[in-house]
Amino acid sequence: MDDGSGRITVHDLTKQFGSVSAVAGLDLTVEPGGVTGFLGPNGSGKTTTLRMILGLVTPTSGEARINGMRYAELDAPGRVVGAVLEAQGFHPARSGRAHLRVAAAALGVPDRRVDEVLGLVGLADPAGRAVGGWSLGMKQRLALATALLGDPRVLVLDEPANGLDPEGIAWLREFLRGFARQGRTVLVSSHLLAEVEQGVDHLVVIDAGRCVYQGRLERLRGTGQARVLVRCPDPLRLAQALAAAGVVEIDTLHDGRLGVAGVDAARVGDVALAAGVAVHGLVEERVDLEQMFLQLVSEGRR
Amino acid sequence: MSVVGPALRAEWRRVVSTRLWWALLIPVVALAVLVNLFGSLLGEGLGDAGDLPVLPASIAFTLTLTAVFAAVYGTVAAAGEFRHRTVTTAYLTAGGRGRVLVGKLVAGGCVGVLYAVVAVTTGVVAGVLGQGAGRVPGTGALVGVAVVGVAVAALWGVLGAAVGVLLANQVGALVVLLVYLQVGELVLAAVMNNSGSAALARLTPYLPGNAGDVAIYDFPARALAGPDLADQVVEQLAGVTAPPPWWGALSVLAGWAALAAVLAWTVADRRDVT
Ligand SMILES: Nc1ncnc2c1ncn2[C@@H]1O[C@H](COP(=O)(O)OP(=O)(O)OP(=O)(O)O)[C@@H](O)[C@H]1O
Ligand SMILES: [Mg+2]
Repeated sequence: MDDGSGRITVHDLTKQFGSVSAVAGLDLTVEPGGVTGFLGPNGSGKTTTLRMILGLVTPTSGEARINGMRYAELDAPGRVVGAVLEAQGFHPARSGRAHLRVAAAALGVPDRRVDEVLGLVGLADPAGRAVGGWSLGMKQRLALATALLGDPRVLVLDEPANGLDPEGIAWLREFLRGFARQGRTVLVSSHLLAEVEQGVDHLVVIDAGRCVYQGRLERLRGTGQARVLVRCPDPLRLAQALAAAGVVEIDTLHDGRLGVAGVDAARVGDVALAAGVAVHGLVEERVDLEQMFLQLVSEGRR
Repeated sequence: MSVVGPALRAEWRRVVSTRLWWALLIPVVALAVLVNLFGSLLGEGLGDAGDLPVLPASIAFTLTLTAVFAAVYGTVAAAGEFRHRTVTTAYLTAGGRGRVLVGKLVAGGCVGVLYAVVAVTTGVVAGVLGQGAGRVPGTGALVGVAVVGVAVAALWGVLGAAVGVLLANQVGALVVLLVYLQVGELVLAAVMNNSGSAALARLTPYLPGNAGDVAIYDFPARALAGPDLADQVVEQLAGVTAPPPWWGALSVLAGWAALAAVLAWTVADRRDVT
């Protein structure tokens, strides 16, 4: 039965395109009430996974469910799930409004919804013009407007920020947050962590069709080793002093600075003072999520 | 109706929001005018043949051409969904691929009806003008050929749409359709007619293109040549052996359309939309 939860569950999902293994035994759960980022490098199987969730691609094995049902079993799938899959899926000669009117008729939603969603995504002005002359960003907005027509409980977006200007990206981020705050589900893919970093609560990272990380964004940040970077005229003596104080994770950076892990800046300063070593600069390194993302992906390959 | 109602409404909006339907209507009208004007002038030139019902024959020829345009519309519109990648949204919003297919088939059929009705109307006007008012012989045959021609165009619209969905490649589907109709079936029928096998020759009217032509030429052939010679006239006009009556030929074409629709459904239901 349709449990109305808005939860997406993917179990042991696999898709083989001939000899290419696009998705290989993927497991994941997307909970309502938050934005889940779906991250992976090019060709890692994001689009294939999202299309399997939406019943557009038939899995080789495994299954994907929304509200506890396979997509094809949903009663009115277009009103349960809205999807932004490609910004290019428009007939160039049709106007933006005509596209939405077609979708509205198919969904069985009243025509006034068309103007509502056009206003929502900021396309009220160009709506009457043929989409062939639109920019990529405008088409992305039109794809989002189409996804929102049926007032869905679940929103699935494949790289929706492509082609959006910075203002558009910020707007989209806020929009998705607001959407999720209403208790709805958002699953949004990207191949750039920086793009989703500010807007997501949960993160699913895949590589080569497999899940390499799933959890809260903060947890990923927490697992990262923050370092203190020290500029000092006598790095060798400082390193010895730190080692004597029990701090052993010390690297020498290519610019001559020391990278000290597992301690905070105050402790490094105290040790240096006690050892009588001059310190010319002391910075706490920000955990670079992009770096962590790359690390996760390369670990997955090993 | 409630199940496919929204899909049909969406399909209607798809049809009227692009120019394809009237872009193909232009050659249909032009051909209807030319063929019937010329055909009736030819009839005039036959001297006392003014009594001969030439108009049903020239309308019939017009309708065989119109059916091709109906098929082209169905194919281009249906395969266009894949070419423009709008099929993703179509499937997601319709709540099932079957409804999208039904919409496409119905749209192809309806545009076929429209083309045939317009072709008959403009053709009759052009024919009457060409012959001089007040002499419109063969009204019965005219009504018959018009009704059959509308049905044939509708079936070709459906068949074309099914081919478009089946092949999902706009240029490919169009080439396959036109090459088959304009060359392939002629060659096939010629081979079958001259194979020396009577059984094979008798199958020629059951090829889809021929079936439509046979159905359309039935009424005018009867009006022109009388019941005894009608079959021979149809054989000449459609290039077939032992043609069935119009209703038989129409059923054969309907069978082909149904087969194409089932194939399209089978393939489209399994196809990955990536
Ligand atoms: N229709 C198809 N036929 C054959 N191979 C395919 C098909 N679609 C995808 N693939 C392959 O499956 C793999 C996963 O592709 P997919 O598009 O899902 O990756 P992605 O994570 O969305 O990549 P990107 O970030 O570039 O969008 C790739 O190796 C791709 O070449
Ligand atoms: Mg992709």
